[in-house]
Amino acid sequence: MKTRFLTTAAALTMTTALAAPALAADCPIRIGGLAPLSAPGSVTGGEAMRAAMRIAIDEINAGGGVLGCPVELVVVDTEGLPERGRAVMERLITQDRVVAVGGGYHSSVGLASKNIANDTGIPVVFAETWNDRITADQQRFIFRLAPLSSEVAAIYANFAASVPGVQNVVIVAENTDYGLPASDMTRQGLEAAGITSTIYTVDIGTQDFSGIIQRIRADKPDMIIQVMTGEAAYNFTQQAAEAGIGPGDLPMTCDQNALESAAYWQNVPDGNLCFMNRVGLPTALYTERTTAFEAAYVAATGKDAAESYAMEAYDSIMVIAQAIAEAGSTDGNAVVDALEAITYHGVLGTITFPINTNNTPEQAGVEAKWWHQFPDPAITVVQYQEQGQSSTNAPVVYPPVYQTGDAIWPHQ
Amino acid sequence: MEHSLFFWSVMGWMVVWGAIGGTVTRHAYFMRDLDVTDARRVGVAVGAATGPFGLIPLYFKTPKLTRLWKVAPWFGVLGLFVLAFALSDPGNVCVSSGSFLTSQIANGLIMGTIYGLMALGLALIFSIIGIVSFSHGEFYMIGGMVVYYVTAVLLPGWNPLLAVLMACALTFCVGALFERAFLTPIYDGRVERPIEYSILVTFGLAFFLQYLVQGLGGANPVKADAFIELPRWRWPADGSVIVTSRANITLFDTIFVSTPRLMAAVVSILALAALIWFLFRTWWGKALRAVAQDRQAAAVTGIDPRIMNMLAFGLGCMLAGLAGAVLVQAFSWLPQTGTIPALRSFVIIVLGGLGSLPGAFVGGILMGMIEAAGAGCIPDPTRAASYLPAYGMVVLTLVLLLKPTGLFGRKA
Amino acid sequence: MIRSLPNALGALGVAFLLGFPLLYAGGNYDYVMHLWITAFFYAILASSWALLAGYGGQFSFGHMAFMALGAYSAGLLDNYVVLSSHATGTCTEIGLFGSWLVLVDPTGVSTSAVNCLQQARGVWPEGVTTSRLPLLLSILIGAGVGGGFGWLIGTLVLRLRAAYLALFTVGFSEILRAAISAEVWLTRGQAGLPMSPIFPEGVTIFGTFYASNAKLPVYYVMLGLFLLTLVILISLARSRIGLFLRALREDEDAAEALGVDTVKYKRTVFVVTAMIAATAGVVQGHYVGIITPNTLILLQMALVIAMAVIGGLENVVAAAVGAIIISFGLEFLRNDFIIFGERVDMSTWRLVFFGLLLMLTLRFLRNGVIHGGLLWLERRAVGAETVAKRRATPKSGTEEAK
Repeated sequence: MKTRFLTTAAALTMTTALAAPALAADCPIRIGGLAPLSAPGSVTGGEAMRAAMRIAIDEINAGGGVLGCPVELVVVDTEGLPERGRAVMERLITQDRVVAVGGGYHSSVGLASKNIANDTGIPVVFAETWNDRITADQQRFIFRLAPLSSEVAAIYANFAASVPGVQNVVIVAENTDYGLPASDMTRQGLEAAGITSTIYTVDIGTQDFSGIIQRIRADKPDMIIQVMTGEAAYNFTQQAAEAGIGPGDLPMTCDQNALESAAYWQNVPDGNLCFMNRVGLPTALYTERTTAFEAAYVAATGKDAAESYAMEAYDSIMVIAQAIAEAGSTDGNAVVDALEAITYHGVLGTITFPINTNNTPEQAGVEAKWWHQFPDPAITVVQYQEQGQSSTNAPVVYPPVYQTGDAIWPHQ
Repeated sequence: MEHSLFFWSVMGWMVVWGAIGGTVTRHAYFMRDLDVTDARRVGVAVGAATGPFGLIPLYFKTPKLTRLWKVAPWFGVLGLFVLAFALSDPGNVCVSSGSFLTSQIANGLIMGTIYGLMALGLALIFSIIGIVSFSHGEFYMIGGMVVYYVTAVLLPGWNPLLAVLMACALTFCVGALFERAFLTPIYDGRVERPIEYSILVTFGLAFFLQYLVQGLGGANPVKADAFIELPRWRWPADGSVIVTSRANITLFDTIFVSTPRLMAAVVSILALAALIWFLFRTWWGKALRAVAQDRQAAAVTGIDPRIMNMLAFGLGCMLAGLAGAVLVQAFSWLPQTGTIPALRSFVIIVLGGLGSLPGAFVGGILMGMIEAAGAGCIPDPTRAASYLPAYGMVVLTLVLLLKPTGLFGRKA
Repeated sequence: MIRSLPNALGALGVAFLLGFPLLYAGGNYDYVMHLWITAFFYAILASSWALLAGYGGQFSFGHMAFMALGAYSAGLLDNYVVLSSHATGTCTEIGLFGSWLVLVDPTGVSTSAVNCLQQARGVWPEGVTTSRLPLLLSILIGAGVGGGFGWLIGTLVLRLRAAYLALFTVGFSEILRAAISAEVWLTRGQAGLPMSPIFPEGVTIFGTFYASNAKLPVYYVMLGLFLLTLVILISLARSRIGLFLRALREDEDAAEALGVDTVKYKRTVFVVTAMIAATAGVVQGHYVGIITPNTLILLQMALVIAMAVIGGLENVVAAAVGAIIISFGLEFLRNDFIIFGERVDMSTWRLVFFGLLLMLTLRFLRNGVIHGGLLWLERRAVGAETVAKRRATPKSGTEEAK
């Protein structure tokens, strides 16, 4: 860890030294961070992201800051509300005078706030907003590290198609801008693979799923896919297990909240064999940087591993810092140019934004959603295979490129 | 739904004839100088259930409205509703699968018992002090939190029933202290509008407690371990009568009961028995009931109403805390957990008649059944679960329209 | 002199608010303007709720629901009703004085579906213009919807006891929230219904052009609405209706016996305040640019109630001032602070203090902080006047003569 500090520091100081004469930035340089820190937002996610962003800032400052300035992080609470998201984005820009913004959890908040940043020319690197439209609008100042919702849905659908003997799938989705499009796209993907599916949507505050679970059981599904976050997903999985259609009875995917192993096993003691989608490098491919971040994160939060949104939040701040250093200025346009050309070796892997002003989606012949999008946040499916297992030790079972173990099919 | 037009025509028919019946019948009884207190209600029910076929004889005969008249037509209404539903949607799993229906009913009964216990607390407070506590949900939440912290953090390995007792003690004390500190002005006319004052001040308490717990414990979902873990067992050998697993009991291969819930319901029934014993067999209980019936008279016989107020509020809060304490092993717990159960309790006590103890319990069971029916039978799976919190409200509206005093209520 | 202090302060306050956006030149102009606009919004809600609760004695928890009804009516109109200079041929449309009133088909939150208007845009010739309905019309419709629901609910529950009203209105908000969340095809559920700015093309005031996202025009619109609300509420409170309401509140049975049609007056107030809330919702929705069902969570209603109570329920102006102070206070309390080396996350704790403040105000300052202060001033004024009078005429009083 120490060596990495030194290398980062050296790299940063070098850039700083080169750029020093052209310095026009006010010290300290402020970077904004969006995170839901109170209800109705997902507080668990928000707190994890805040911790990760603070680690990033501490590392940057330990390495001498950026452009010779210390860097300050201003984390604002979006409350998971789009209207609040707009207000805090405005506050970051006009009150706190940030030069760029990282973080971001709820897609609805991202969608509502990105226009303000784009209109005022403040670059945003979104960490965990999955909705395709974030990048599909092709705005100059908007970047994203999180995977596209449609890509995750495709992984789900392909994974379901690879499960032996699956004909009839039930999708349980939260009725949010995350759950609804994702479940719809999963259904389309399954349809293309010749698998029928039924979508059950639930309110995110739902505690008691028993009625719905009995109903799902009557549908006799071969597999259940959850597109749900937070405690709703825990409640659903545990109650399904108690009703005999849990992860131990048929293939079930739990959403990525399940990756937080300690909380998962406490809330879902009967949740063994659940499949989870995981964003970010598989444990086996961890870079030095990933390992170091995870160690720092575990030390700071007391959790047993870093969640993907924590990694994304960390990288969103680091990539901004590097772009500012490379641009030699905090001017929005310069930072965007630097981001478009960036190659950053981060926790998530090597981050680039290949579809950009110089290589538009039309020129590259890809869909508009790939604009300013980190193309390869590895999306894998992992499976808990032992009671109480840590998600970092859970084997990757899909896709075959990343596979580190065979899936255990509960129904066979 | 296959024949939705048919279903909605029947509903329209019932509403129209219900409205006509209400007006016409009251008119008939009024013109003949008969007792009109129940005429409108009976008219609505007879009209909705039988249309003109029952209304015409009722109009001309105007029989004395005995209890049979007041109750029987409502079963007709219910029957007609069920029949219309069954005919219009024969493929619905509620109609076609007997085992599904039994499972739902069993589940509704179990949850209803616990709802009843919680609502009982609210009804008890109302019957003695005459106020509706808006912090009832927070006591429910605290009950669960106490059990979690005691069993999982402070004293792991101790008997969970001890934790339940501690939860009861704590919620009782907080409730009683709050009553002493904040509710005393309503007894001696120091506030102009005691009911409104008490609504607002308990609302403030709810706000305070919810965020206090979040500030102290964070917003991550937690859950206590199941109080009892069953051994795997089946009888007879093929499991046709009973199969148990760790968290589930299956009866006759058709009824699935989750053990944490069953356990919660059993504790609820025991608590109810203890409460009945307390109210009817002890001096304190008798004194409480005496105050509920006639404050002045009770005071004359030497019962100090101030102590009784404190006792009633503490007991009411304790019942909510107990409901939470037994359910934290079935659901994941958050500081916001109390909101929906609190709303549900409001509906239940209005349904049962404000301040009626048996009404609250029967209302709770009805509510369990209504929610089970709503979640299980609404044809559109994308809506069935989303509207879960709204089913109770539909019932509340109907009750307010038709019989504001509730099922067991005294005159409003 | 002390007696006229509140009025003088009020006049000063209004003058300050009117001049503020022109005089303030801080670097955080937009942010401060945003705080003021939000504060006015809450002040409108809190003062109208204070009239309903303080004067009318109707402790409704449905005020935010009426606000949301207004905002969603305007939002639905904004999204699905468009005036076009050319027929679309694909949508349901009505010809109207040479232009077309187009009803756009909702496409929900699906990212791929194309609605009929977008289809038409693809084949339209150059120069076709589309616009939404005029803002005033959508305010009228929003207020009408709010008022209509207010009338329905008023009719349903105003005959009942207070506790029922509170319970029922809580439930009404909850049912509305569930319905908006669930009917995604129309309302876009939790994703939120986007709304166009108040002045979509920007606006020119006294020769200065303000873009559609400029704060100054919105500030004056919201301030105007706020002052108008206060005028309506105060004149209502001082009218015959206000008198009857106070009579009702003191003793409903007696008022009824004296021939006051209690339900009628209660319902009037219910409908008027519901309309005010709905209008505020329309303007706020257009300003914020998006509306979600989460505005209906109990916490939001709790904020409005607490603002009115802490300001003073018996006085609509005090409630409004309370709302402005609290909405600023809650914003400034968001910053974390460090105590004994521990970082305290204020986003949660500020609400703890807020709940405590609400309880303590109710318990110990029954008239609220602002209104209580005003009453205290008035008592002092009366006291001072009495003393002065007695000094001026020493012979008239028997006590002083001795």
